Amino acid sequence: MFLPIIGLMIGLLIGKFLPISMPIEYAKYMSVALLASLDSVFGGLRAGSEGKFDNLVFMTGFFTNAFMAAGLVYIGERIGIDLYYVALLTFGLRVFQNLAIIRHYFLKR
Amino acid sequence: MHKQGQFSISVVCIILGIMLAIQFRTTQDIRSSAQYERADDLMKRIMQVEKERTALEDQVHDLRQPPGDDAAAKDLERIKIGAGLVPLQGTGIIITIDNTKQALSPSNKNPNLSQIRDEDILKILNELRAAGAEAIAINNQRLIATSEVRTAGSFISINNKNFATPFEIKAIGDPVALENALKIRGGIIETIQFWGIQVVIKQSTVVELPAFKGTFRFQYAHPDQNGGK
Repeated sequence: MFLPIIGLMIGLLIGKFLPISMPIEYAKYMSVALLASLDSVFGGLRAGSEGKFDNLVFMTGFFTNAFMAAGLVYIGERIGIDLYYVALLTFGLRVFQNLAIIRHYFLKR
Repeated sequence: MHKQGQFSISVVCIILGIMLAIQFRTTQDIRSSAQYERADDLMKRIMQVEKERTALEDQVHDLRQPPGDDAAAKDLERIKIGAGLVPLQGTGIIITIDNTKQALSPSNKNPNLSQIRDEDILKILNELRAAGAEAIAINNQRLIATSEVRTAGSFISINNKNFATPFEIKAIGDPVALENALKIRGGIIETIQFWGIQVVIKQSTVVELPAFKGTFRFQYAHPDQNGGK
């Protein structure tokens, strides 16, 4: 359980010292991609705690979710449908759902 | 299996951490970006400029106040009247000219011939001045030494402002002398009436002229130190 948290810390530190900054126009896509990744990680944690973790599914899910979410928001913007909020809502709901399941798992143990 | 899951989740968490850090920075950038603060900034600037403008207007008003000295004040007043900075009233005439209302006759196909042009107005002004007009305004634009009357496209530019027909020329002076000067046989009024331009001349005991509203700026002209000798 500690390994992911340590990983997160390392990532935060790397990100802090990397001289990368997003153009403001792309902040929307970045936030959606971030939420999708967050959802994937919580999904992975949940699957791990349920004992049915699949590495391939997790890895592909992480990257495709992030890119597809950002891509869909981009396309939505082009055709005038605000998919941004839809993506936020969907991934946000799933993040909280996964959180609840993980919590239940730890409580039951 | 469980161990491996932990490992890949950790790897992904590193990436997630990087993304989070970038997102933090981007959000901060947005907060401090020009777009976000633009409206606020512009509002402040508008307020400041408006304040400055009011202060300057007050200053102009204060500076325009005549000084206490009586003789100097009279001198100044005369100079200001001469320069067109004071609204004036007195006897005079009001001339209204407008383009022809009637349809063009077959023999007169060129519409430009029955349009008022700068030359017509300039000739009228010249005639008025020769007849002793003391002050003249066209469409409430007071004519001063640097005023121009010039065709600008379909308009006529007076004091750098564009006017279309009709034109109302007001002149202060001896009404009879002014009107006679204009209506002299073969004079300017007869000429433009021949081309179908409508002219109405009215003598009036109270002609009111506005002050010149522009500003004086002398970029090239400077007072001669030798007194022009």
